Amino acid sequence: MTVDAESDETLIARYGRGDAAAFDLLYRRHEMRIWRYLQRNVGNRATADELMQEVWFAVARDAGRYAPAARFTTWLFTIAHNRMIDSFRTNRRQTSLETLGYEAESVVQQLTADPEAGPLAAAVAREQAAVLMGALEQLPDEQREAFLLQVEGDLSVEEIAAITKSSFETTKSRLRYARSKLRELLKECV
Amino acid sequence: MTEVPPGREDSDDVDDLYRRASDLDASRPSDSTRRRILNHAAQLAEQRAARNDAARFGRRRGANQPWWRPAIFGTLAAAALAGLLVTPRFFAPGTPPTATVSPAQSSRPSPASAPPPTAQATRQSPEAAADAQPNSPSPAKAQGNLEPQAFARNAAPSAEPAAEPAAKNAPPMALSGARARSGLVASDRAEDAKRMQAASGAQSAAPPAPAPALAPAPALARAGRAPETSDPAAALRRAAETGDIQQLQTLLDQQPVIDARDADGRTALMLATLHGRGQAVDVLLAHGADPNAADGQGATPLQAAAAGHQQAIVEALQRAGAR
Repeated sequence: MTVDAESDETLIARYGRGDAAAFDLLYRRHEMRIWRYLQRNVGNRATADELMQEVWFAVARDAGRYAPAARFTTWLFTIAHNRMIDSFRTNRRQTSLETLGYEAESVVQQLTADPEAGPLAAAVAREQAAVLMGALEQLPDEQREAFLLQVEGDLSVEEIAAITKSSFETTKSRLRYARSKLRELLKECV
Repeated sequence: MTEVPPGREDSDDVDDLYRRASDLDASRPSDSTRRRILNHAAQLAEQRAARNDAARFGRRRGANQPWWRPAIFGTLAAAALAGLLVTPRFFAPGTPPTATVSPAQSSRPSPASAPPPTAQATRQSPEAAADAQPNSPSPAKAQGNLEPQAFARNAAPSAEPAAEPAAKNAPPMALSGARARSGLVASDRAEDAKRMQAASGAQSAAPPAPAPALAPAPALARAGRAPETSDPAAALRRAAETGDIQQLQTLLDQQPVIDARDADGRTALMLATLHGRGQAVDVLLAHGADPNAADGQGATPLQAAAAGHQQAIVEALQRAGAR
């Protein structure tokens, strides 16, 4: 694995030596990916905020122990996955269709708040986001997480299998079923 | 990290739709969460930086501490060793032998075939002569009376190529009665030893030889000079010293002061005796040279001849009334 000057691995190594600016760069680079992964898995903004804090606190604490044997994103999403599992174990998934609908509505409201979006585009985005969030909510947890790890973390099947402690074939099936389900649910919007 | 990971399923329209929706999603962590995260990370970074600085400082201290210790102890050890090696030389009773002087340096070439030796070579000669003589006299003997070895071991300075067997053991110009006189010999030896040590810079680590009874003297250098042709007496002494009978006869015909002395009080007869020039001794005695004319140190020709085992000269001197 080659480590270029501004790679994630370089930045986490710099932070491990006490360079706070390196952590800022890393956080801004991966903030939204982790946030979406957490928020769309747990279905609750407050819980996602808590998990977000726990995940990045763990990254900051363990930066000195990070060894570039694996990609930084794999390490990062592994931490996020483990935190989320812990959260699930202690607090049952708090989302329900009602809360998801509320959250989805909130997302749609934020989408339409874009001042540069025209009325038509905002309406389309609102509809697509509502459908997307509804479709994600309808996915089984394992399928949803596998899908989010791939699209948000840009992880391979092998990496997802390792993070979720599943076999390669199981992970591959989860991904296939997730996409098939989403395609079916979103058919009208695509 | 932009490469497509292996095993990645081909993205399809569902992924594209999801990403488009996500790009439009303005949802993000709360500002308070972001602040807490970044502040916490900055705090940890500060602690890490402080630890790293402390570790570097500790390494520097650790690295700086030991370097001067071996330097100081090494210097002290070297000084002690040098002291152990050098100090005994200043308390040595005799002159250390100098093995660096070659026999060629110690023997003066024939005046007829080569120019007189330089002053430096002449000064070195007695050292080499001393080295060449293993039978150095004991201080007690040297102090008591004239020891034959004491004369023999200084023969090298005037070695003439086998003109006479005695030439090899001819006593040097530095042979003086004072060296033979008791009471002064020991102190002279010590002074000579110190002087030679200083001159040689303590080159040799060999133990000093037993105190030489006859140490080099400035007369040796003077003896190696070119003949003082302007002074008939000096020319006479020179001819007697070298055994140049023809020159000796010529000079004697000019009726010089036959017993004129050089700077060390030595007459022509004494010089001829010291260098084993038996024929020159006979000629000088025949022309009335004083057989008892002692040199500046009180040594007589008879004593010098006896010390040099020059039996023929001893007899000639005795016949002439030497005491």
